[in-house]
Formats: sequence, structure tokens, C-alpha cells
Amino acid sequence: MIEMSVARVANVRLTGIAAAVPEQVFGLEQLSSEFGERDAQKINDLTGIRRRHITDANICTSDLCYAAALQLLSDLECNVATIDVLVMVTQTPDYILPATSCALHGRLNLPKSCSAFDLNLGCSGYVYGLWVVSQLLASGHLKRALLLVGDTISKLASPQDRSVAPLFGDAGTATLLEYDPSAAEMVFVMGTDGSGESHLIVPAGGFRNPRSSSTSERTAREGGNLRSDEDLYMNGNEIFAFTLREVPTMLESLLEAAGWSKDTPDAYVFHQANRFMLEHLSKRMKLPTDRVLYALQEFGNTSSASIPLTLVDQPPSSLKDGTSKLVLAGFGVGFSWAGVTLTCTSPKISNLVYLQHRNSEVST
Amino acid sequence: MTKEVFLQLLDELLELEPGTLTGNENLKDYEIWDSMTVLGFIALVDEHFGFTVSTERLAQAKTVDDLVALLDGRVSYK
Repeated sequence: MIEMSVARVANVRLTGIAAAVPEQVFGLEQLSSEFGERDAQKINDLTGIRRRHITDANICTSDLCYAAALQLLSDLECNVATIDVLVMVTQTPDYILPATSCALHGRLNLPKSCSAFDLNLGCSGYVYGLWVVSQLLASGHLKRALLLVGDTISKLASPQDRSVAPLFGDAGTATLLEYDPSAAEMVFVMGTDGSGESHLIVPAGGFRNPRSSSTSERTAREGGNLRSDEDLYMNGNEIFAFTLREVPTMLESLLEAAGWSKDTPDAYVFHQANRFMLEHLSKRMKLPTDRVLYALQEFGNTSSASIPLTLVDQPPSSLKDGTSKLVLAGFGVGFSWAGVTLTCTSPKISNLVYLQHRNSEVST
Repeated sequence: MTKEVFLQLLDELLELEPGTLTGNENLKDYEIWDSMTVLGFIALVDEHFGFTVSTERLAQAKTVDDLVALLDGRVSYK
């Protein structure tokens, strides 16, 4: 009946999470100067996004993930020589090639025995990353994996397009997972609807529509928005309709597959798209709304990074001491969606790292 | 739900006094009917009728009655 795959993974423990954001902050003032005070306020009220951390041209996804990884490895006193696999999830890589995971493998001084590869997913990417990495570790042949997940989506948004410019922020995260036969089982539910391809897309700049002088030209589009084909396009109505169609079913199947009730999780952490949508979803599904976590007020929609960033910024108290049961769910670009029930025992949650503007020095 | 009650929900969405909308109004005459209010409409239908409206048909809607028609007979006319 349910058109989604269910995967169960045992023997894998989530050991710690860190996140890094650029220090530079855009708030209501920047929105007002672009779209006028009234619209800026309305956008703020609907999305719940008050501020966003935005990179400058010198900071890439890899820099944010690198800073997060250094913090996490240092906090965990983890020897990099013991890392067997590095998986990077991003849609804003440093280069077309090589893979950002390979570049970070070098910068982190990981051993040559460590495998490294990229996954190209956005909103659902963190949960997909957890699934892939935990499957790799589950057999016990590989013991330790670093999952780096982040995006600088703000660089793809036309500043003159109100359907995207006010929403996106930048962040990079690092998660360490380890083989551990005593770890509780993780249950994953995944799905894809590729018919949603055109609703959240950067149409040009790949090989279907290579860059040209015409693809870089910003022209007037629907609602007076200015955008080029190299900029991010989002059809908000389609995304909302897709979310209403698929996410409740995903969450119901996930809880059922895990044998959890709606009251079992200590926290629900959803992809931080916008507050209006998440509140509607939580209300409609009759979730315990005080356990639904939000970090978008401070960071906006940070694409693949939003779930781990929320856990770092707003860690549920149960996560700090003892065992915590979490539901994580990402959904969007693709369309692609994935959810997991995760039982964590005292993972290390690093302090949020702020990457300074321009000179890329790290401070916490 | 009657059409009358549904129109009152739309009055609230468009920040109008209850009983203002009758059906033949043009949506483009309401400045508040922007992309964000459209999301509110999708949410309203989902909450009160339990289904997701067709986004293609919603994009074509020009009048308040066009919005009523999106409900495919789920409102009664008494």
C-alpha cells in the first residue's frame, strides 16, 4: 500500500554532530531595502525567518564543513587516521570535479585507506546521508565514518527574486558515526517523485543547458521577480502541495515501521523550509508541537544542513544527558524525501562554529 | 460546509469583514492575494477539507468562485 522503501539498520551509533555558519548576518533590513518594508515584514511573519547567515564569495560549502569537522574531531578527540569513510552531501560543490569529498579528504589529512564520495541531494540529503553511511558501517568491516553535509544555497538565489531570496542561508555540518553492536536500530523511510524535477531547479549551468550569455541574464519573471536561468527557481505552491501529499504519509509509515507512537520521540526535527508549512504539518498530523524543533528563525532554510544545524543550535535536553529518541525528516528538491527514527545515547553536540567573513578564521 | 461558511474563511484569509465576499470578485483586485496568501489558501483547504488542491487549476483561478470550484462540490449551496 505504501509506496516507500523501509530500511532497518542495526549496529551503528551516532557519536557526535557539529555545525558551522558564516558570521555575516542578513536580517529584516536587507529584505526591506530590496522588497519594501511591508512585504519584508509579511515574508518574515510567514516564513518565521528573522535572520540568515550568509557567506561571502570566499567561503564555500567545503570551508563550512571543514570548520565543523575540525570542531567535532577535536571535541571527540578523534584520531583522523581511524576514519574509514567520508561521505559528503551537497548541491553546491567547490568544483564540477573533483568531488568535494576528495578535496576535504586532503584538507582533513584522512588516510589513503579512507574512501570518499559525494551525494547530490538537498532537503532530504542529511537523512539519505545517514542511511548510506550507516549501511556502510553496519556490517562491521568499516568502523568509523564522517558525514559532511552542507550547502551555500544563498549563492544560487537571485537577490531580486522574492520567492527565494528571503529564505536561504548557508551552513556546513559534520556528523561522526561508528560501528557499535550495542546501538539501537535505526529505521529509515525513503521516497522519490521525479515528476517534481522542474519545481525546484537551477535550470542552467549543468550540461543540459550550459552557461551562456543568455543564461546569465536576469529577466522579469512571474510576480515581477528578476531571475536568470542560472539562478534557483522555486514554485512554492508546488512544494507546499508536494509536502502535504507526501510528508504525513512518510511520517505515519516511519512511526509505524519503528513501532513508535507520536508521543515516543523526544523531538521532531524537520527540514527547516518555512515555519508556516511546518506548523501546518505538525498541527494537521497532531504531533506534540512543543517537541517540533525550529532553528530557521536564526538561519533560514540551509538546505541539506538544516536538520543537523537545528540539532546543534536547539539540542533537546534529552540529547545532552542520556538517551534521546528523535524523528528526523527531510523533504524537497527532487522531489525527494526521507525520514529516520534515531535513538542516540549521549552524542557529543559541539558548540556552533562561526566562520569569519573574508579571512575564514574559525571562532566558537 | 456551505459556500457561505467557506466564503467567510476566505474573508478571514483576505483580512476582510465576515460576509464581504460573495463569489464574483476578481482576485487580482485584492493586493493581499499574493504568493504567500495563496499558500494560506492551500493550507485552509487542506485543514478544512482534507485534500490538496490542484496547483495547476489554482494558478488559473481568477475569481473567488473559481476558488470555490476548486473544491469540486465539497461545499453545498443550501
